[in-house]
Parts: sequence; structure tokens; C-alpha cells
Amino acid sequence: MGDIFDGLDVEAYDRKYSDAQLVRRIFKYFANQKQRIGIVTATVTVNAIVDTMRPIIISQGINIIIAATSPVPLIGLVIGFYIASCASWGTNYVRRRAAGRAIGDIVRDLRNDAFAAAVSRDMSFYDEFSSGKIVSRITSDTQEFAQVVVLITDLISQIIMVFILMAILVLTEWHLALILALLSPTVILAALAFRRVARSASQQASRVLANVNSMISESITGINVAKNFRQEGAIYNQFDGVNRQAYQINLRRGFVLSLIFPTLNTLAGIIMATLLYFGAGSAVSGAISVGAWYLFIQSVWYIWDPLTSVASFWSQFQAGLASAERVFALIDAPAAVVQSDEQPVSELRGEIEFDQVRFQYSDQEVVLPGLDLHIAPGETVAFVGHTGAGKSSIARLVARFYEFQGGNLRIDDRDIRTFDLAAYRRHLGIVSQVPFLFAGTVADNIRYARPEASDADIWAMAHRIGDGEWLDTLPGGLETQVGERGARLSMGQRQLVSLTRVLVQNPSIFILDEATASIDPFTESQIQQALNIILSKSTSILIAHRLSTVKSADRIVVLRKGAIIEEGNHESLLMQGGHYAELYNTYFRHQSLEYIEAARR
Amino acid sequence: MALPASASEFVVAQRYDYNYRSPIRWVASHVLRYKPLLVSLVVGAWGNAACAFAVPALIGVGFNAIIQPVPNLNTVSLCAILIIVSQIVRGSLMLSRNFSAEMVAQRIERDTRDELYADLLGKSMTFHSMQPVGEIMARTTNDVHELNLMFNPGINLVIGSAMFLFFPLFTAPTIHPQLILTPALFIIGYGLSLKFYSSLLRPATEAVRDRFGDMNARLAEAIDGIETVKGASQEKQELANFDRGATAYRNAFVRQSDIEARFIPLLLMGIAEGTAFLHSILLYRAGGINVGNIIAYMGSIQMFHFPTWISLFGFSNISLGLAAAQRILKLINTRTELDENKDGRTARISGAVRFEGITFGYKEETPILHDISFEAEPGQTVAIVGQTGAGKSTLVKLINRTYDPGAGRILVDGVDVRDWSLESLRSQISIIEQDIFLFSRTVGENIAFGLPGATQAQIEQAARDAQAHDFIMNFKDGYQTVVGERGVTLSGGQRQRLALARAFLTDPRILILDDSTSAIDSATEDQIQRAIQRATKGRTTFLITHRLSQIRWADQIVVLRKGRIAARGTHEELLRTSEPYRRIFDTENTLEPIEQDEIELQPGR
Repeated sequence: MGDIFDGLDVEAYDRKYSDAQLVRRIFKYFANQKQRIGIVTATVTVNAIVDTMRPIIISQGINIIIAATSPVPLIGLVIGFYIASCASWGTNYVRRRAAGRAIGDIVRDLRNDAFAAAVSRDMSFYDEFSSGKIVSRITSDTQEFAQVVVLITDLISQIIMVFILMAILVLTEWHLALILALLSPTVILAALAFRRVARSASQQASRVLANVNSMISESITGINVAKNFRQEGAIYNQFDGVNRQAYQINLRRGFVLSLIFPTLNTLAGIIMATLLYFGAGSAVSGAISVGAWYLFIQSVWYIWDPLTSVASFWSQFQAGLASAERVFALIDAPAAVVQSDEQPVSELRGEIEFDQVRFQYSDQEVVLPGLDLHIAPGETVAFVGHTGAGKSSIARLVARFYEFQGGNLRIDDRDIRTFDLAAYRRHLGIVSQVPFLFAGTVADNIRYARPEASDADIWAMAHRIGDGEWLDTLPGGLETQVGERGARLSMGQRQLVSLTRVLVQNPSIFILDEATASIDPFTESQIQQALNIILSKSTSILIAHRLSTVKSADRIVVLRKGAIIEEGNHESLLMQGGHYAELYNTYFRHQSLEYIEAARR
Repeated sequence: MALPASASEFVVAQRYDYNYRSPIRWVASHVLRYKPLLVSLVVGAWGNAACAFAVPALIGVGFNAIIQPVPNLNTVSLCAILIIVSQIVRGSLMLSRNFSAEMVAQRIERDTRDELYADLLGKSMTFHSMQPVGEIMARTTNDVHELNLMFNPGINLVIGSAMFLFFPLFTAPTIHPQLILTPALFIIGYGLSLKFYSSLLRPATEAVRDRFGDMNARLAEAIDGIETVKGASQEKQELANFDRGATAYRNAFVRQSDIEARFIPLLLMGIAEGTAFLHSILLYRAGGINVGNIIAYMGSIQMFHFPTWISLFGFSNISLGLAAAQRILKLINTRTELDENKDGRTARISGAVRFEGITFGYKEETPILHDISFEAEPGQTVAIVGQTGAGKSTLVKLINRTYDPGAGRILVDGVDVRDWSLESLRSQISIIEQDIFLFSRTVGENIAFGLPGATQAQIEQAARDAQAHDFIMNFKDGYQTVVGERGVTLSGGQRQRLALARAFLTDPRILILDDSTSAIDSATEDQIQRAIQRATKGRTTFLITHRLSQIRWADQIVVLRKGRIAARGTHEELLRTSEPYRRIFDTENTLEPIEQDEIELQPGR
């Protein structure tokens, strides 16, 4: 009950849909399932009718028994009861099968649409919204929506039954029916009151559970520290306190929840006793038959279930609609990067031209006020500058991950906005600061940007780096499983895999955001080898963090606040004694051989 | 009985003895701690059913009173009053049943979590390094909660609904002996069909869960790596991938709902009601029972509704709970090799460390270290270098017995580490791990972690020595700043210097520094260099480092390659003898790139 509020955090791309809009959107997904929906509707109705038949048959039976006439109609009633029971089960069976298929398909469609929408968003969208929440919209919110649909079909069946039954009761004797109708809402009120109390108790419980979990998580993660310093006892005592507190709060919640069904049951008993008493009067006076009296008392049970369901179901229904709303908000989020055309890009020389490009991330200060930069085909340019100087932004604009606000960006003299993006990006090789690998083998990852590459190509490329020595350190060579997000490989190995991926791709433009993570010197020298091969073949944009990378560039571009203030090679820039010299002293000095030699203790 | 307590690095005083022989016995030994609550649970469940069955019986009496030639309304009002009273009694008995169950369930969760936690603290690092944190978290949070749910609602509902199932066996014969027939047949049919149903449903539900997990994992990866997906323009491929996952889930979901659609006990319930109706009519016509009896009997047959629906949850809760118990027990019963060795050698370490023919693997069949032998003199600094996976971190962790070697031995001051008291050995060896772990406490508390009584002056001195004092004072709250999830985020270099301060405070004789940080700027690098230099002074130090300046000036350099010593000596010696070593000092990048175009691929499409 407490998880009603889970995952309800509001994101900026959320929008409010009117109920009518929402229903229309949902309805569109149901439209593909017309036949199944028809089956479900038909079986739900039949099911409700035959279920109502059963208590009526028994009440008729009692009338006939008391009247003590011929036994023949009784045999008919018994047979009728068997048929109703089988029909009830049978319609339920058909209904659930059809509903299962319809819901399965609808959820799949919804998920595919949501994922397709997420994939087509540009990177500014992902900067703003955590990937965990996007994922939960695509899988969990759609799931919740599906559960609500299941519940709705169950509930509709029960509600139809309640209406049929109530109609029959009213026709039989409206006074008694009125008593029943007046008493029934107490159930709903009681159930709703409990929900309120239970909700606050559950919120407390989930908060304390979070405490326990983070306590355990922290001490298990830091167990080596605790053991090295022999502090197990202190940690245990702290845990013990939290654990006891959790017990107290959970017990309180349990007590509240324990109250619900006893109370509801007692209420049902009281209503039944009331009907027994007043019904007896009507039966004696002859207003109703004894069988009808029986039917009234029985109907308490039949009305009971749907009413408690409605009460506990209401908020689930709301949550389901909210889920649907969140999924649609994801699907409808506007795109920032918009292409004006979809021109094919068959071949690229790799010439890049920034012409007065102005760029800022949404609502933040301007990163590039008006950049002019020309990079010749095959040139290797290293960008240096403090954090926020605009190095990464330049690379991201070339990759067309973001939209710029002014000026022009031309690749091979063509406006980048006119490209078919997928075709254009096939000519880009990108290695990000934290290289990302997908679960699968090393070979799968090397092949990622170029699925048609042969095993022989991959083997050959992988062996061009350090004679393939790096593959020896992997337990299964190229067939090693890298684990989720490449977790089983070291940072250095991940770099090597993603560089090999670029080697196999053989792109016209290479973008490297160099890792700042520390990599062992042996792997480092292999990375350098791989880089040298790529740099010799492509136009390269380097966001350099290592001295050796800076030195290997044809041109070093020094950035400050989004403007180019110096250009040249390492020696000449250092000689100038300007901003580059300052950057060198800040970021690169400790990587030089002189520094290493001077470090003697 | 207390199997796992035999070899442990940490034991809680006054623990309750549980039975660890099988999951059922273990759960039972937990449950049986609270006998009075169990009694109150069973009494409540029985009384609840008794009061529930009073309703149809009383209604039957009421009907008989009305269909008499002279209707007796007083009997009816008495029946109505009795129903109200019985239902109030029933409510309170049900409450006491529910609450007893809840209390036992919550205590089981509390007790097992406590038991498991204490046990985990006692396990050796060999155990912990083999066990992913996520897995342990799943045991201590989800599985322990499954045990709670197994008792309530699980066992509570099964006991409660069993009463409803068996009650008609006793009430029906009081109306007429023959009437036992329908309830008896129903119970048999119900039991068989439920067993069949759940044997079908369980694998189907598992499949649904697995497919969901697969779909979700791949999706999460694609979203996290969206930049890579876009950069390689593989959106179409990922969409196809996701569709495959979503379709696999859809098929599993449909299979499950097909099985659920075929819930046989529901059909049996309808047939039982019809048969009960038929049977009671026949008995009535034979003159065996009256109309009130028919109504009472039909009413008690209807009570089967409750067990028909409810027990399904109950049984699945119990089987989930037992599976969780099994997983937890497996963890608890894992033997751990190290123990405290309280009677071992206790002495001040001078710092001579000698590795003799060390072979080690986390699993014995796949050793990571092969036949390692070398020696460090007191006060020496040994740099251990090599590629990732060469075994560097594992090697140094053998010194403080984080792990014990499979073959060979390690001598500290000429004494096998296994003959040292664990307390004495570990308190004089400090390890600073690659992933530096700080607790979500204040900076000061983190530094004082190994020496809980340390004064502020001592803490500050340690921080100064580690070059950490300045950046700590730059925080608004200084030493009172909380770090970690709920506090400030520290850079790798800052974490490392805090860890160094933590180590300085305990003044270890042997320091092991597994250093994988990299300074982004030279000023930070200067400070880290100074801190490490200060740390190595006057103690034996093992440095696992990527810092060329540290490797360059170590007293001894050990180059590991795939778990073996590939080269050993001073910097000058290695420059002469080792080609790979020479290559790493080629930071000016003078190596020729490999000849071009020996393999040429087609340019991208």
C-alpha cells in the first residue's frame, strides 16, 4: 500500500494531460486489439450474469422446497447451477486469455514507443534527466499501467454483477434493498480510513528500511577497512541500534494493517444480522418469499468483494493513470537537435569549419560566444584549457549531440544541419572519457560500430596494438565477457577496446575525450600506440589530458572562456610563456620526465 | 549446533543458538523462540473460523423459526444478536491472530538480519572478496524480508485458511452424517489441483521475472551508453534488441496469464456448491434434514471461497521464504578459513617481509599468483608494478592475512604470518586500498577510525602529515564536515590523503599503499608526492602505483606479469634488463608507430 507514491518524482519534461487526452492516448493503443477487447467485454458480461445466477438459483430452490411441489423443477435448478458454475469458469478462462494477450501486446507497443522516443532525444535531454528514471519510465511505469488494466477488467466484471444483483433485489423488495444500499458505503469509508493511516505508517517504515539498508551497504562495502582497523564491534553496535528501531516502526505499521480485515469482517457480520432481522419481518408479512430473504443475506457476500476492491483499488487506478501520463510525457518530450534535411553522407574528407558558432547548454551561461575555427582534413588538433573553457563543447557539436544557437558549422563545406544524422555519425569515431562497453564479448564491442566486420579484421586490428599483448591479460582473449557496462575490464582495457573499435570503424573524423583515470604504465604505452595509428588516418579532435597526447598533435588550440587565445605546437607555445605555459605548469608539468627525475626523496 | 561460530574473526557475545542443519529447521528454530505468540496465533485462527461458521448455523436457525407454521420473530432477533456478538468476538480473535503473526514475522526479520550481519562481520576477506556486495545486500534486505512475509501473511494465511478448509468436515456431520461427502471430496480435489497448478505457475512466474530482468538490464545499458549508441549510429540495432527483449517478456507474460486463466480450484468450488445443493435437496426429500439445515450447510460450503483464493498467496510466500532461507543459510554456512589466533605471537614488528614460493588463487584451480619469492628489508620501499590483472593487489593483501596463500609462506620478522596473533599483526600493518572507502561520518571521525580515542590535536597532526589539513580547513565545517552520500564529495586525491591520515594515526610498521589515483593538476601531484614520501619514512612500504616518479625512486621494483615475477631490481638495473620497463619511461613518445596500411579496411559505409 505504501508504494503508491514511489517513483512519482516530477521531471521537467512532465506535462499535464487532461483526462480526455489521456484516455484518447490510451485508447489508441487499445485500438489495435479490437477483437480481443470485444472478446473480453463479451465474456466479462456473460461471466457477471452467470455468477449472479447462482445465488438466485439457490434462493429459487429454497422457495420450491418450502412450497413442496413437484421435484422436477429442482432437478432443473441443480443442472442449471452446474451449468452456471462451469460457464463462470469457462468465461473467466476465455476472458483472461484474451486479456493477457491484449495487455501483453499493448505493453510491448508502449515500451517500444517509449524506448524509440528516448533514443531519438539528443544528449542535452540525457544531461538533464537521470538515466535510471528514464529506464523506469520505459519498463516499470508501463508495467504498472498493465497491472491496472488487469485490475480494471476484474473490477468491471464484479461491478456489473453488483448492479445486476442490486437491480434484482430492488425489484424484489425495495425497502430491504435500500437498507443494504445504505449500509454498504460504510465498508468503503472504513477501507479508505485505513488506507490513510496505513500510508503514513508505511512511509515511516520505508524510511527506516532505507536507513537499515544504507547502514548494511556501507559496512559491507567498507568491511576491509573495518577489519584492517579491527573495528567490527563498533560497527555491530551501530547496526544493532538501527535494526531495533526498524523493528519497532515495522511493528507499529503491522499493527495498523492487522486491524483492517477484522474490522471489515465485523462490519459485514453486523450488516448480515440487520438483513436477517428485517428480512424476517418482510418474510413473515409475506412481502418477500423465504428464498428472496435468503438472497438478500447472501448478497452481502457478493457485494462485499467488489466494494472492498473499489476502495483499495482507487489509488492504484490513479497511480496507473499517472504512470501512463509519465510514459506519454517521455514519448512527447520535444527534441532540441533538429535536422533541416536528410542528405546522404557517402564519404567525408574530414574538413571542419566553425563559423561564428555560438553555443550554450540550456539556460546556462554561454560556453562558446562566437567560435571561428578551421580544421583541415587529416589534421590532428589538441584542445587545452581549464574546465569550462569549451573543449568538450566543440567535440560535442561536431558529433551533433547538441544544438548550437548561432553561426554555422560546416563539415566538408556542407551545413551539419542538412545531414542524415545516422549516416553522418558513421564517419565519426568517438572515444569518451569513461569508455562505455556493452555486456558481451570484447569482439562484440570492437565490432559495435561496424557489425559487418569479419572476425579476421577484428583479430588483425586487435593485434596491431602492442602485438596483441593486451589480449593475453584477458582470460578469454577476444571472447572475454566484459560484463555489464564493461565492469569486468580495467579502465585501461576499456580504453583499448574502444580504441580498437575506432580502428575497425576507420572513421574520417576521430574525437577523443581523454581519460583522466590513472592507468598502469604498461597499458598506457599500448594506448599510445593505438592512438598513433588512429591519428595518422583521421581528422582528429583531442581533448587532451596527457602530455604525450598534446605533444603528438599537429596543432594545439588554447581555449579560454570559449575563445581561442593561442595556437601552435608545444615548443613554440611554451616559449611564448602565455596561457599555454600556465596550463602546462598546472596540468602537465608532473607528467614530464624532468619531474620524474627530480622526485628523488 | 552453532556451526559457523567455530572459525570467525568476530563474535557477538550472548548469541542465541539456532539450528543450521536445514532451511526448515533453521526457520523453525527461529519461530520456536516465540512459543506464546504461536499459541495465541493458533487459538485466534481456530476461534476466528468457529465464529465464522456460527453465522450460517445461526441463519439456518433463524430460517427454521420463520418457516414454522407459527413464525417466531424472537428467535430471529436472538439469532441476529448472536451473529453480531459472534462477529465482534471473531474480529478480536482475528486481530489477535494477525497481530501475533505480525509480531513473530517482524521478530524473525529482526533476528535473522542481526544474525546474518554479525556473521558477515566475522567472515574473512577471502569470503567477502568472492561475494559481490550486491549479493550480500540482497540476502540482508530482500531475503530477510521474504522470511518476514513467509510467516505473515504466508504461514498465517495457510493456518487461517486451513481452519476454514477443515471446519466443514466437523460441522457438516452434525447436520447429517452423509453431508461430510462433499467437503471431503472437495478437499482432496482442491489439494491435488492446487499442487498441479502451482507446479505449472512457478516456472512461468520465474520466466516472467527473468525476462523482465533481461529486458531491463539491456535497456539500462543502452540508456547509460546512449552517447556510444548515437556516436556509432546504432539506434536501429538497439531498437531491434529492445524489441526482442520486450517480445520475450510479452510471451512469458501471456504464458503466465494462460496458466492463471486455468485455475481449476475455482471450477471445483462451483461443482462442490452444486453437489452440496443437490445432496441436501435429496436428504431433505428423504426427510433427513430441514430447510434451516440446507441453508446452514450451503453457508458452510461457501466458506471454501476463502481458502480457494487465499492459500495460493500463502503457499507462494512460504516457498519464496524457504528459498530465501536456503540462500541465507548457504551464506552463513560458508566456512571461513581465518581466525583470530589469539595465542599467536604478539610483538612490535621491525618490518622485514619475506615471500617464499607463494602461490594463491581465490579458487584453488585458477591460481593468480605463481611461485613468488622476494624479500623486503625493514624500512625499504618496494614498488610493485604490472598490468591490471597481474596480481599486484592480491599479492600485498597476503601480508596482513586478508587472504592466506595456497602454497608457500610469508614471514614477517622471520615468523610465518599465520603464527602471529591476528590482532597484533593487523594493528601494525596498514592497507590503503585502491578504492578508498570512507564512512558517511565526519572527516575527523574517518581519520580517527582506527584509533577511536584520538584527540583533535592527534587527528590534525595526522592530517598535516598527509597533506590533508589544508583542504579539510577549506570545507565550511572543517573536521566536522560529513563525507559520503549525505555529505561532500571528495576527489580521488583527497580521499587518498584522508586514508593516509587514517593510517598515520595508527603509526603502522608496515604500510601497503594500493595507489590508483591520478592527479589532474601538478599542484595536487606535488602534495600527494610529499604525503607518500612522508608515509614511507621509517617503515617498510609496499607501493602499488602507476606514478612513474614513485617507481623511479623505489628501493626495489617488482614487475609482475600474469602472476609471476617478470623482473626485479632497482630502476637502473631494470632499464638495462627489461624492454617493457624501458618502454614505460618513454614518455616523450619517441616510439615509431607501426607501419601504416599493412591492414587496410574499407572506409566506413
